[in-house]
Amino acid sequence: MKDLKIKKVIVEKGVSGQEFAQQILRRLPDIPVQTIKENESKAVHDIQNMGKEILHLLPYKGEFLKPCPGTREYICCGYQILNVATNCPLDCSYCILQSYFNQPYLKTFVNLEQGVEQVLKIIDSNPDLVFRIGTGEFTDSLAIDPITRWSDWLLPLFSKRKNAVLELKTKTDNIRGLLTSKFRDRIIVSWSLNSPFIAVREEHRAASLKKRLEAARQCQSEGFVVGFHFDPLIPHPKWKEEYTKTLELLDKYIDPKGIIWISLGSLRFMPGLKPIIRRRHPDTCVLDGEFIMGLDGKMRYFKPIRMELYSYMRKNLEKWHPDPGLYLCMESHDVWQKSMGWSPETSNGLKRYLDRRVVEIFG
Amino acid sequence: MDTQKFATADLHLIDTDRINDSPGPYGMSFGFELKPLVRSIKTVGLLNVPVLIEDGEGAKTVISGYRRIQAVKSLKWDNMPCRVLQKSEFSPLECLLLNLHENLATRNLNNVEKGMVLSHLNSYLPLNEIMKDYMPLLDLPSNEEKFDLFLKIEKELDENIKIYLARGHISLQGVRMLLDMDPASRLSVFGLISNLKFNINQQIQLINYLIDISHITKASVIELLKDQPLENIRLNDNLNTPQKAKAVLRLLRTRRFPSLTEAEKTFNKMVSKLDLPERVRIDPPLFFESPDYRLEILFKEGKELREKIGRLFKMDGIEEIGNPWERGA
Ligand code: SF4
Repeated sequence: MKDLKIKKVIVEKGVSGQEFAQQILRRLPDIPVQTIKENESKAVHDIQNMGKEILHLLPYKGEFLKPCPGTREYICCGYQILNVATNCPLDCSYCILQSYFNQPYLKTFVNLEQGVEQVLKIIDSNPDLVFRIGTGEFTDSLAIDPITRWSDWLLPLFSKRKNAVLELKTKTDNIRGLLTSKFRDRIIVSWSLNSPFIAVREEHRAASLKKRLEAARQCQSEGFVVGFHFDPLIPHPKWKEEYTKTLELLDKYIDPKGIIWISLGSLRFMPGLKPIIRRRHPDTCVLDGEFIMGLDGKMRYFKPIRMELYSYMRKNLEKWHPDPGLYLCMESHDVWQKSMGWSPETSNGLKRYLDRRVVEIFG
Repeated sequence: MDTQKFATADLHLIDTDRINDSPGPYGMSFGFELKPLVRSIKTVGLLNVPVLIEDGEGAKTVISGYRRIQAVKSLKWDNMPCRVLQKSEFSPLECLLLNLHENLATRNLNNVEKGMVLSHLNSYLPLNEIMKDYMPLLDLPSNEEKFDLFLKIEKELDENIKIYLARGHISLQGVRMLLDMDPASRLSVFGLISNLKFNINQQIQLINYLIDISHITKASVIELLKDQPLENIRLNDNLNTPQKAKAVLRLLRTRRFPSLTEAEKTFNKMVSKLDLPERVRIDPPLFFESPDYRLEILFKEGKELREKIGRLFKMDGIEEIGNPWERGA
């Protein structure tokens, strides 16, 4: 990842005494700190920068564990989100978090300890369920880990649970915190990958594909289970050749045995995001595709285009390994059937398939 | 603000040619229709007198009643009664608020006028006060993005587009999209919109298509508008204006969504090959997204229904209906 620059820390009154907040502040000794009252943080009107260089430490008032916001119309993986932070120092042109430009700053929840305690209670009181939990929905899981060291807190707690896995999803190479931890069990480190064309043009401030895959290789060789997400797949000029380059890199760096899963998803977004993307990224190509309004109200590619993307990726990934744990993110039964050759039929079906992968890999 | 001072300001008979003709720093009238006011003043006289402010040297600037003054001038009155304030007694902000409140009490401001108000307020008040007190007063959400849009409308929007907006012929969304374009493209697109009288929804579609196609093809919006097929539609004497607007949108849609429009074409071909009974139709799902196609049979009685189902049952080629990209025409 390109250097993470924090220029200022905003601390909500009452949280600076919390251990987690103190640790973060100790890691940023020369950065100016502003203390504010609860809810005093002004909505800044900086659509371009979105306060990505300001860390905002605050307590989270909602539920720390939330189901992935899937919809009835498409098959959802049943993933659960551990809400550790919102916003992201990276700046992908397609990022849905841009819709929240009027709630800026890298908001980091410092009552994580209490929040996680609640989450663990839920996990422990449901021993028959498998909890697939991730932190990478409203932020990149590792982008600010050098400052927050979530890895120090979370790895030991999840490593001990036999009915849960924690997935840290990233586009960075910030793996130092992970590697210094002695915990490996039930932790998945996964990388979002794209074609080199998209990675360079559209995933601003993210680590290069090569660096991502070098980091993945290192994690894999140090005993972490890894996963990959080709999401969002974006058709662009020569997309087949370009995605093939990434698959070749994947082959060069990663041993396909033991990959827990590889997801495929195509770009989708709420219609309101389009003008924001246009304004923030005038040269982007991510809006060039043939988007139609999906059954969930989100814009997505016209169906045969999605099917072509998935079929191409599937064909090539299955050449690499016969069972790489492929699944589609938010797709319909017929798209599954026609591009993957099978379908889990329902969200429950997909959940069962992924839970089985967890059991196969971690026991 | 000393409200008494306004009410007790002296009434004077002022020569109309000594009243400044411009709306001035407190003006907030745009796109109004003068005729009804002229008719009313002609019939019953001036019921409510304008308020002016005089600088030390005799020049008189309008605070409120700009439209009444214009109406009176068009009636060629030599003079008219006005309340005259002294500049030393009233701050510009007080004058502005006087006009604002008088306007809000009697009518709804159009979007161009709201831009004028916000732009004036912006010279005198901090942003947070405008957000807190004045955006709601103007029936606008207190967000800076909206505020910026209204300032841009006032400062950057071309006069003709302002007139369109004031009359409600273009939406704020449409204006926002036009403002995101460079001025030359904006005027060209607006030229097409006003020539072919696109309705509000069509305007949004048109602008969206043009921006998208321009990004995809790297051709400028102006170049796209000069494209021969589009020009042909504009010049086609066999089409009336609404037909031309629709044809332009169809043309641009085909360019923007080549696979989707191809699929639609193929599907229509598939269906047209069938000898469907009258008042029976087969429709694809919207954008072919849902897997379910739809058959509609209109009938007057069971006998007709049975007959139509019977024909459908035996119809050759009906099993070919389905996703066009899988079957081909
Ligand atoms: S890494 Fe994820 S969260 Fe961060 S900007 Fe990119 S898409 Fe958004």
